[in-house]
Amino acid sequence: MTLWILLAVITAGVSAVLIWPLMTSARPVEELREDEAAVYRDQLREVDRDRAQGLIGVEEAGYAKAEIGRRLLALADKRADAKGTGGGAASRARHRLAPLSVILCVPLIGLCLYLFLGNPDLPAQPLEARLANPGNNMALLVAKAERHLAEKPDDGAGWDLLAPIYFRAMRLGDAEMAYRNAIRLNGESSERLAGLGETLVASNEGVVTEDARHAFDRAVALDGRNMRARFYAALALEQAGRTDDARRAFEAILKDSPPGAAWISLVSEHIGKNGGAPLAAAPTAPAAAQKAPGNPNAAQVEAMQQLSPQERQQMIAGMVDTLAARLRDDPDNIEGWLRLVRSYMVLGDKAKASDALKAGLKTFPADQEAGRRLLALAKETGLSAEGVTP
Amino acid sequence: MIIEIGHYALVLALATGFLLSVLPLMGARRGDAALMAFAPVGSVVQFVLVAFAFGVLTWAYAVSDFSVLNVWDNSHSLMPMIYKVSGVWGNHEGSMLLWLLILTLFSAMVALFGRNLPDTLRATVLSVQAWITVAFLLFILLTSNPFLRLDPAPAEGQDLNPVLQDFGLAIHPPLLYLGYVGFSVCFSFAVAALIEGRIDAAWARWVRPWTLAAWTFLTAGIAMGSYWAYYELGWGGWWFWDPVENASFMPWLAGTALLHSALVMEKREALKIWTVLLAIMTFSLSLLGTFLVRSGVLTSVHAFATDPSRGIFILAILTFFIGGAFVLFAWRAPTLKSGGLFAPISREGALVLNNLILTVSTATVLTGTLYPLVLETLTGEKISVGAPFFNLTFGLLMIPLLLAVPFGPLLAWKRGDLLGALQRLYVAAGLALAAGFGLLYAQSGGPVVAALGLAIGFYLVFGALADLWYRANFGKLSFKVAFARLKGLPRSAFGTALAHLGLGVTVLGIVAVTTFQTEHVVEMRQGETAEAGGYTLLFDGMREAVGPNFTEERGHFTVSRGGVAIADVWSSKRLYTARRMPTTEAGILSFGASQLYVSLGDHMEDGGLVVRIWWKPFILCIWGGAVIMMIGGFVSLSDRRLRVGAPSRRAKLAKVALEPAE
Repeated sequence: MTLWILLAVITAGVSAVLIWPLMTSARPVEELREDEAAVYRDQLREVDRDRAQGLIGVEEAGYAKAEIGRRLLALADKRADAKGTGGGAASRARHRLAPLSVILCVPLIGLCLYLFLGNPDLPAQPLEARLANPGNNMALLVAKAERHLAEKPDDGAGWDLLAPIYFRAMRLGDAEMAYRNAIRLNGESSERLAGLGETLVASNEGVVTEDARHAFDRAVALDGRNMRARFYAALALEQAGRTDDARRAFEAILKDSPPGAAWISLVSEHIGKNGGAPLAAAPTAPAAAQKAPGNPNAAQVEAMQQLSPQERQQMIAGMVDTLAARLRDDPDNIEGWLRLVRSYMVLGDKAKASDALKAGLKTFPADQEAGRRLLALAKETGLSAEGVTP
Repeated sequence: MIIEIGHYALVLALATGFLLSVLPLMGARRGDAALMAFAPVGSVVQFVLVAFAFGVLTWAYAVSDFSVLNVWDNSHSLMPMIYKVSGVWGNHEGSMLLWLLILTLFSAMVALFGRNLPDTLRATVLSVQAWITVAFLLFILLTSNPFLRLDPAPAEGQDLNPVLQDFGLAIHPPLLYLGYVGFSVCFSFAVAALIEGRIDAAWARWVRPWTLAAWTFLTAGIAMGSYWAYYELGWGGWWFWDPVENASFMPWLAGTALLHSALVMEKREALKIWTVLLAIMTFSLSLLGTFLVRSGVLTSVHAFATDPSRGIFILAILTFFIGGAFVLFAWRAPTLKSGGLFAPISREGALVLNNLILTVSTATVLTGTLYPLVLETLTGEKISVGAPFFNLTFGLLMIPLLLAVPFGPLLAWKRGDLLGALQRLYVAAGLALAAGFGLLYAQSGGPVVAALGLAIGFYLVFGALADLWYRANFGKLSFKVAFARLKGLPRSAFGTALAHLGLGVTVLGIVAVTTFQTEHVVEMRQGETAEAGGYTLLFDGMREAVGPNFTEERGHFTVSRGGVAIADVWSSKRLYTARRMPTTEAGILSFGASQLYVSLGDHMEDGGLVVRIWWKPFILCIWGGAVIMMIGGFVSLSDRRLRVGAPSRRAKLAKVALEPAE
């Protein structure tokens, strides 16, 4: 409300100032052209001055003065001609329209255009004021912690706090730096090492690198009950092709886990993958979902809930891109193609959805069961399959 | 709330602009004083509104209000305050707002200082200015609005392009825009003259201060930009014939021509139509520069954002104003009465030569800039027209121009005495040749072209001094009398001499650097030394450092001469964390007008570091000359004759003019 009152006051003020010169009675201008004459008279004085100082000769001075004199004479002629012409009654009538045009033009153009362009409901939001009262806004809390650390980069507790938040927000480079700083300042702990390792794995598209494996091994050495570290250590064995060792490691995790722990189904699935007997009771559906490429993992889902809509959109777009890249390398995955097409449609990118559909149909032609599923999806989401059906 | 008020102020400025485009022009046509009186009031109101909007945006940057999209895109809460403020124009939207601010500032200045102008002329000029303002306000509000908001607001900004995080950004664009946009006033005067169908010597006198001011700021802006590129980009070059540089150089060339032709028009009422055409061309080239930089046609450090709709909008503005002005010119120019005649050997003749060469060189630069673009559009072929083309064409054109420069002030108006001028200049020419060859000998064995180049530079310097010397008549009168006469010379004479002298100094710098500079690319390890320009650089090693929003690796060098350590210099490579973007910060040491330039390259696998070292003799002369030219511009601008005709001052002036020694 205050905004509207202020805008009204400004509009009134500007209109008033603009009307002011128009409110004097219409008077026809006098064509005296006194200003022009002043310039020529000054030029005459300049010639005299130059002559007095000997900068120009007598003859040149004479010529110059004659020339300037002719300009003055011509001016006097024009002045005589101009006399008698002036504004009449017609101009006075039009003159009354001028203040009216100001009164109409300023508020009308001003308000219409502003209502079209502006955001009258949004207050100004200086960062300092927002940081002083961040509420539940995770991004602001992070920014606050970052400022604190920029001033005191040796505060290990701050890095400890920030590192998992960075990881959840998929700011992996920052997360790695934060974990390393925390380890440097506060010393190694099983938690920090496992976090660092997990960050490195995430940075390398799920591959447990040498660095990461080393971190997990240290973490397990410090605390044998760190299931997260043990899981990744086992995963490293699996990725190295040491199936038996991996199975034994996964089975050991299962044995040490409390009943009902969240990771049981995932571990059980890996046991099965490495040639063991998966736990019969384990629900298989979530495990299958975990396998499909591009499905967000638990950490990503959790991170997503912390983000603003805009950041969330960005993160989703990033995950979809990753999925697209994986399908390009390994196109033999019908579930992946279906997800990709559906994701692009949800994001509103029809062109890419159509491209994905075409690419998917190349691997799974439309006369097969899988291809028909793709076409059915296209129909359901309203995507035109023109030019892709044989 | 304040943000929204700023946005609203900009919208109100547009409403005012619409009224301003119509009412005063109507008043001037109908001879209605009240409507004409609307022009100055409206112009000042418009400036206040735009300045308020600009102030609000600056405030949003200063307090890091990331609910403003433009701030979020181009700022970071941890940047130092100076970069936060200069970041306002370090992006497309903000720089257009600065453009607009300066445009309305010039309108307001014409409104306030133009009291000596005839009412009809002033009203028409301000209306034409308002057309330009309206066009750019529409452009800003509809395609490049800096007041768009984000909801919810992010917690941290995207940071400013690291290359722009420099003191140069604080001064280069404002100076350059003061020049670019200043020529809009000349354009408006020309269009007003065509509309009124009246143009005379007085017109030229009224336009001169605006041309001079715009030219002076443009000189400063270009020089500043060149120095900035030199120390920031780390390539050791000071001019690249980059299209964006050319875009600012073309209005400068045309503006220089305009400055000189307006002089002929003021004194002799000749070259009237040509001067009007030049005024239109100069601002057209400014607009063309804005189009090239802002439309995304070119990719360079200056093209912050590319968006085709903006390009088309600016192209429309360009077509409307340039096309419209030329149509008006074709229609009205034949009705203008042309002015006096003169002999080829006269000051006018010399100035016509100057105009001829400057116009041809502008056309050359224009061709070199646009040809690759046109070719790419038509055939898709990508070519680059670089330094070799410009050095050959532009460089050759400059030689006769530079030789003619000292003649201009020494020749009389109307009918000059070439022999007399030659006699006066041969001392200067002789001294110049001696100095040129002397310097060449001292620097040992440069090519002959360089000797001639240096001689031309010295010749310009001595020629400018000779002008003052003969005007004061030092040779013939006693020193005391001559000195009194020197003091009595009009300030515009000093302005001319300083500007020509500055040009000479710049030429000296350019020739000296191109001829005598040395470049060494060496791989250095800690404790190793390298030689450049007679100095020895000892590499002391690298050190890590952290800035407010970057991390850097700094290399330290100790500089010694003849075994004695005399200075030390840091050169660094920075990584700006928010954008993960690396930059180089060259280490520069000045010895007199010469500089030692150290730039760091990549690490080698064996632990060494690639280091580029330049020795740049007399390089500061290039920009020093520009500074002298700028001072000349200001001295000339302060000449009281430019204020003639102000009614309130007329009485006082008449009195002053009677005192002979003043």
